[in-house]
Amino acid sequence: MSTIRPTVFIVDDEPAVLKSLARLLHSAGLAVETFPSSQDFLNHHIPNTPGCLVLDVSMPGLNGLELQKTLAAKGSAVPIIFLTGHGDIPMSVQAMKRGAADFLTKPVDDDDLLKAVRAAIEKDRAGRRARADVADIEQRLATLTPREREVLEHVVSGLMNKQIAARLGTVEKTIKVHRSRVMEKMKAQSLVELVHLTEKAGIGGKQSVISHQQSAARI
Amino acid sequence: MSWVTVIWSMTASACLTLALIHGLVWHKQREAWASLLFAVLAVATAAIAGCELAMMRAETTAGFGLALRWIHVPAWVVTVSLVGFVRLYLHAGRPWLAWTVCGMRTLALILNFLFSPNLNYREISGLRHITFLGEPVVAAEGISNHWMLAGQASFLLLLIFVVDATRTAWRLGDRRRVLAVGGSAIFFVTVAAAETTLALWQLVPWPVIASLPFLGIVAAMEYELSRDMRRAAQLARGLQASEARISLAANAAGLRHWEWDMVRDELWATDRTKARTGAARPEPRRFDHFLQSLHPDDREPVSHAVAKSMNGDGEFESEYRILLPAGATRWVVARGQVEFNGAGKPVRMRGVSLDITRRKEAEEVLRETEARFRTMADTAPVLIWMAGTDKLCTFFNKGWLDFTGRTLEQELGNGWAKGVHGKDFDHCLEVYFTSFDARREFIMEYRLRRQDGEFRWVLDTGVPRFAPDGAFLGYIGTCIDITERKQTELEMAQQRNELAHLSRVTMLGELSGSLAHELNQPLTAILSNAQAAQRFLAHDNADLDNVREILKDIVAEDKRAGEIIRRLRLLLKKGEVQQLPLDVNEVVQEVLKLLHSDLVNHRVETHAELAPDLPPVKADRVQIQQVLVNLVMNACDAMAGVPTGSCRLIVRTGLADGEGVRISIADQGVGIATENLEKVFEPFFTTKADGMGLGLSVCRSIITAHGGRLWAASNPDRGITFHVKLPIATEANP
Repeated sequence: MSTIRPTVFIVDDEPAVLKSLARLLHSAGLAVETFPSSQDFLNHHIPNTPGCLVLDVSMPGLNGLELQKTLAAKGSAVPIIFLTGHGDIPMSVQAMKRGAADFLTKPVDDDDLLKAVRAAIEKDRAGRRARADVADIEQRLATLTPREREVLEHVVSGLMNKQIAARLGTVEKTIKVHRSRVMEKMKAQSLVELVHLTEKAGIGGKQSVISHQQSAARI
Repeated sequence: MSWVTVIWSMTASACLTLALIHGLVWHKQREAWASLLFAVLAVATAAIAGCELAMMRAETTAGFGLALRWIHVPAWVVTVSLVGFVRLYLHAGRPWLAWTVCGMRTLALILNFLFSPNLNYREISGLRHITFLGEPVVAAEGISNHWMLAGQASFLLLLIFVVDATRTAWRLGDRRRVLAVGGSAIFFVTVAAAETTLALWQLVPWPVIASLPFLGIVAAMEYELSRDMRRAAQLARGLQASEARISLAANAAGLRHWEWDMVRDELWATDRTKARTGAARPEPRRFDHFLQSLHPDDREPVSHAVAKSMNGDGEFESEYRILLPAGATRWVVARGQVEFNGAGKPVRMRGVSLDITRRKEAEEVLRETEARFRTMADTAPVLIWMAGTDKLCTFFNKGWLDFTGRTLEQELGNGWAKGVHGKDFDHCLEVYFTSFDARREFIMEYRLRRQDGEFRWVLDTGVPRFAPDGAFLGYIGTCIDITERKQTELEMAQQRNELAHLSRVTMLGELSGSLAHELNQPLTAILSNAQAAQRFLAHDNADLDNVREILKDIVAEDKRAGEIIRRLRLLLKKGEVQQLPLDVNEVVQEVLKLLHSDLVNHRVETHAELAPDLPPVKADRVQIQQVLVNLVMNACDAMAGVPTGSCRLIVRTGLADGEGVRISIADQGVGIATENLEKVFEPFFTTKADGMGLGLSVCRSIITAHGGRLWAASNPDRGITFHVKLPIATEANP
């Protein structure tokens, strides 16, 4: 995954701008791919390629914001740096809300653009890495038995072994066994690490407490 | 029967008869002095004949002597009357000789009565019977009186006088007449003188027979006189005929003859005058009466004219009014000639008169018409001029002269052209001359110098004038001062351009975002290219070819940016409006290029359907661009609420009915109610929250000022189309 070189995709209807931006990014040692229109990009872009998208806002046909929407709908997480000649605030707010990496006005200074591009690429990389970690944790979680999963949820919500045993209607010793197995399967060295992993996987301690309280109420 | 008695009696009676006839002639024609002299001569000849007969039949010496004594009386009469006749009839003969002849004959007559028994005899001793014409007659015998020579000398002198007179008259002319009177006189006087001399000196045994030669003279004279009378009668007939002809012509011409005998103060006029003056006047009038019949105002001038003609060269001319009994007046013109006698005294005036009442009335009408025209022309608040068929001006009204401050004499002919402004001079004369030659109306504007030296714009309208029969008479024209109007027009045009500019600036303000974007494109390319180049150059192994390529692109983009700025500046410029031949398609393309960003931002799809080979229009590029930008922006705004994908803007160009070029801009927006289609061109009409509502009204004023038309029409499906029509730039309308 990390062996594939990140690429900067540029979409602009103005050939001269397209060419000059490509040159600039190229001079900074970046791999560049250019597209004269949104449609062209959608047709030829391979979603798994790491990198970022430098996108002109106003274009005939599908414009920048519409392309952003379309990509989001497709589940693409490619960071987008918008370029606009107008730089009007409502438009940039809208773009940023939808998760734009940056919003730059033309003409753009090389440092600003490169900083944004690098940040976006880093974000893409981080994103990709984060997505990869969650998948790993979820894989580990999948190996847990339902009982172990129950124990895990109680552990990350901060309950003592004795309390967990009481809640689950068993003895402390059994809980200790489950707990060590969970730590093993989840490849966690400490309780802190375990909590961190579950947080990444979206199993929050607070949420667990709430659900625990709810179940307690049922009892 | 005695032959002597018969012949001598007949001679006497023939002479008396002729004397009677010519006596009567003289009685009728007192100036016929020749007839009187002839009558006297004839009577005297008859008397001589009587005396001779008495001598031939004398029975005593005393009777013979008495008859001979008395024969000298008629002889004297014959001599004197013959001298008179020759003088009168031949207009010749020396007066002193005539007097001498008469004197000598008178002397002979006096001596005749001093001597006894007579001039010829001292004593008659007896009567001698001789045979004459086969008859016994008597002749005297006795002692001849030597004083008888006086009588014979008078005959000789008479002969000399007649010969001299004949010679003079012969040289002067009418030779036949001279021959008849002079020749016969010479011949018969010679015969008479010779016979009586021989008989009385008793050299031949003949009786005295002077009466027969004198009868010859009488006959010759009678022949001449009767010939004259015949000729006079012929002349009179001819004169009558020609008088009748003249009178006919005079009547036809309305002429009246008149004659004024100044000596007798009698004024005669032909019948027509009498008929015309309305009074039957068989009698001649006196000059005073004539004067009284005239209009009081004309009496003095007529008297004056008469006095002048009498004292001057004799020519008389005057116009006057005659008072008619009915109270009416007639205008008369009279012309005449004074005749003077030998002493240079005016004795008679003859002439003609003509009724000119109608002419005077016509003149009066003409004068009145003329006066009315002058009054109208001079009070009209315009400058009026007139020209003859030779293009030279013949009249300028008071308005013109007051305007230019020059005199009529200065302006006449081509003088007026001096006041025309130097820059307008050639054009002005060219229009004038070409229109004149074509007999065409013309309207032109030029600057004319006013009296204060300021040049004022005038609008000059000229029309050809024609007589009722179609003959060309020249031109008449009027000029009005349009300086103020011109000024107003100029100010209005300035205001319109001012407003157009203002509207343009406002429009560009609205467009600024879009324009900034348009400008941003090349700037972005330039900056990125430049910075890329810097980075390439910072590398150790810089690819110079690449850098060269970048620099080329930078130059190209910079030029593009410059072009955009140039276009913007052109639109913002507040320059002079210049209507030049313009390619409509080019302007449309420029506008679409300028608005490219805006159209993209508005999600508008643009279609240009431009007709090829359109003729150029006459227009100001910037203002037409402004109108098109305005219309395209309006179309964009109209389609703001329309879903993406349906926003189509169609720009078409083409010929409009062959008389102009049309540009149509069709949108697919919400449209406008048909009743409001005209209202959109009213100032301050707007459907936009932030619009001033001036855009379209300014557009329309611009197109109208170009001689074109701007209007809106609803599309069959949806939206509206704005049409701009502009006149084609032609040779005559460049």
